[in-house]
Amino acid sequence: MTNVVSPQALQAERTSPTSPMMRVLAIVGAVVSVVAPLLPWVTFVLNDGAYPDKSTLQFFDAPFELTGFRWELLLLAVLAVIASVFRIPAQRRVLRGLGVGIAAIGVIHFLFITGHGGGLGAVTAADGAFAFGSVAAIVGGVLLVVATVGRAMEDVPVWRTDIPAPLAYLALLVSFGALLFLVSMTLTAGGQGGAANPYAGAIFLSFLGFAAGLLAALSGVGALKWISTLSEQHRWFSILVLVICAFGLPFTDAGTEYWMTVATNVGIYAATAIGLNIVVGLSGLLDLGYVAFLGIGAFVAANLSGAAATKFHIELPFILVVVISALVAGIFGAVVGSPTLRVRGDYLAIVTLAFGEMFQLSARNNIGGLTGGSNAIPNIPQLEGFGTKFNEPIDLFGAKLPGGVIYYFLIVLLVGLVMAVFANLKNSRIGRAWIAIREDEDAARAMGIKTGQAKILAFLCGAILAGIAGAVFAHKTSTVGYESFQFMASVTLLAAVILGGMGSIPGAVLGASLLFVLPEKLREFADYRLLIFGVALILIMRFRPHGLIPDRHRRAELVGEDTSGHSLDEVAEVRIEEAEAEEVKAR
Amino acid sequence: MSTLLQQLVNGAILGGTIGLIALGYTMVYGIVQLINFAHGEVFMVGAFGALATFTWVIPEGVKGTWYITLPLMVIAGAVISALLAVLMERLAYRPLRNAPRLAPLITALGVSVTLKEAVRLFYPGATKPIPFPNVFLTGSIDLGGIVVAKTGLLIIVVSLVLTTLLQLYINRSRMGRAMRATAQDPDVARLMGINPDRTIVLTFALGAVLAGVAGVLYGSHISNISTDIGFQNGIFAFTAAVLGGIGSIRGAVIGGFVIGFVKTLSGQYLPGGTQYDYVWIFVVLILVLVFRPQGLFGETERVRA
Repeated sequence: MTNVVSPQALQAERTSPTSPMMRVLAIVGAVVSVVAPLLPWVTFVLNDGAYPDKSTLQFFDAPFELTGFRWELLLLAVLAVIASVFRIPAQRRVLRGLGVGIAAIGVIHFLFITGHGGGLGAVTAADGAFAFGSVAAIVGGVLLVVATVGRAMEDVPVWRTDIPAPLAYLALLVSFGALLFLVSMTLTAGGQGGAANPYAGAIFLSFLGFAAGLLAALSGVGALKWISTLSEQHRWFSILVLVICAFGLPFTDAGTEYWMTVATNVGIYAATAIGLNIVVGLSGLLDLGYVAFLGIGAFVAANLSGAAATKFHIELPFILVVVISALVAGIFGAVVGSPTLRVRGDYLAIVTLAFGEMFQLSARNNIGGLTGGSNAIPNIPQLEGFGTKFNEPIDLFGAKLPGGVIYYFLIVLLVGLVMAVFANLKNSRIGRAWIAIREDEDAARAMGIKTGQAKILAFLCGAILAGIAGAVFAHKTSTVGYESFQFMASVTLLAAVILGGMGSIPGAVLGASLLFVLPEKLREFADYRLLIFGVALILIMRFRPHGLIPDRHRRAELVGEDTSGHSLDEVAEVRIEEAEAEEVKAR
Repeated sequence: MSTLLQQLVNGAILGGTIGLIALGYTMVYGIVQLINFAHGEVFMVGAFGALATFTWVIPEGVKGTWYITLPLMVIAGAVISALLAVLMERLAYRPLRNAPRLAPLITALGVSVTLKEAVRLFYPGATKPIPFPNVFLTGSIDLGGIVVAKTGLLIIVVSLVLTTLLQLYINRSRMGRAMRATAQDPDVARLMGINPDRTIVLTFALGAVLAGVAGVLYGSHISNISTDIGFQNGIFAFTAAVLGGIGSIRGAVIGGFVIGFVKTLSGQYLPGGTQYDYVWIFVVLILVLVFRPQGLFGETERVRA
């Protein structure tokens, strides 16, 4: 046993409040954090221009006029003051979350400013001036985190979910509205990356730190769990509201052509990732060539679009094209899945990788004149409907919406549809069969599940979803070539599923969003993108193998916890000791 | 006829390289049941390590003397690969020893991407293929119309010799017995006084040494290296290991030669030519896995999770 604390003592610690000394430490940390955004952050104007948000010493004429990252920091810090002064439930969890967020903002800006300003002088002293903002934020954040060390984290409080339906609807509306606001802010935070805006990456990362701190605090007090339980109870209402919220995105700050394109691409990959989630997350069949199905869907759609570069010059209605793409991808899915009848585990991963590579090589060599080879298939016509081309700007409800917005609406509908299909599949008989196969294939077979059929069906469903996404992809990007469907794309999709949390729908969407938005935001680090990606894969597997939003059962399986988050060993020990106590009493 | 023989020789040269890499896959999989995706990158790093040694360490005066240069480069490649493999095992894989099987596999993908990118970004000039020195062993031998490059001959000989040595080491030595015992049952092996951690690290290191040697020989045969050589040859080598029966030493090398032959012969005789020769390797892989999952020389299938 590495853990010397007895389970009862641990239980007592979980319910006990933070010790007075630690609370003082937390209050000090919170106050330092409040001061941090009011201090200057940079001692001189950097080469690339003034650091945003008036935080450069020369521009520091109005410290209380906070915007941007300093405003975010102040919000976290004020929350930390409240959380440390008052005795709130799960105080340590909340404080830790806020502390990590505050420290993250501090560290990101500290590193960035010193990196850009040529050393420590940029944040400490130059010409007798001091700019300790980022240092204060780091100190405050670290103090907050340190204040939570020493005693075990409390249980996440469970909120009542048996509230009347109208109240639940209201709560869901408010929280999804807040989610929309958060998504819009995330997209636009720091603005477009690139040469014109050298600080975009840092501002965006610090926004992510802010969002992570806020969400960690919310999840600490049990609000996130409450919302997710409520949304499970009112599944159809939630999906409806989510889709409406997603439709609202173009009406926010993110409503420019650029962000619509990014959001549409994210949507396509999110739909594909949800499809992959069926295969990997639910059925536990590792697929390393999954992007091939997206490719097959895209090439089928391209060939049936009437583009000049294709062989047949056929143009079919889009709905029909989607159906055909889905069917063809599905057939290939069943073919790729058929070795699962005999091959298991790691070997299956290799078979799928082999299929993926075969597809990629065939596409590269322009097999049968269908894929355009290295020339790709260019000039796929834009979809048309509602009296406009889909890439044109439109007027809706008196609002001017940017180009590409119809594709965005289309992909939102698609992702909503895919989510609904996935959620229903997961709770259906076949979904439970998949999960049973994932847990123990032999036991599942013994329980009367036709494992062969179920596994091929998993591949088929996953491939169909990817095929549909591929059809939209072809028209949206208007050029389809083999380069979009290489091994790294498969790995990225897999990483999206794992990062988000295997078997979880919001996880897959979140994972896809992060992995496909980050490269857009971090243009200036473009060269290091894959390196960061590889290191991140290793670290995630090491420290959070169950992903950011784990599926409860999946998490239980991966980290040996029960569904409410307690370690199985501890639970067993408590039970044994309770049983022993009973026995003593009986005597 | 001479075309066929020539292609067979070419296949054998490729097969020798792949076989050397496959040994690492087969040993590691045999002992920890992990497809070490990063093993192909270890091969690549070995080649780059040897190149770095040639460029910056070996004095200008002796660069042309093959019996000094070549051993030094081989040793450098092997040592760098082995160090890398030990680090990799210690930092990435060992913490996940008891994790579910998906986790280390994904870690291995991550390690593979990281290594490739690290070399591409930090080795000067590695963004495109770099010429690899082969001044020390040039020319070729003419065997009645069939041309065999001397470096190619070296690859075939070295791969056969090293395989025999490895086979002897694993079958006869004390450490080899420990490796076999750990592969069979790590818990019982521990009871018998074997340190499984040390045995596993040694397995990784041995595989990496072979891959490093293969990297140097491959580089001097092809006479240029790029960061892409790791992934592709790694996949082929894994195919060879599976084909030969995972866990089997001679199986891995024979599998390597079979893959080499399949690639060159299908490039020559099958429709599509060299554009599709990779596809045929994958076809062979899938067929083998479906119809003979234990491989050509593997033991009959054990129950796997």
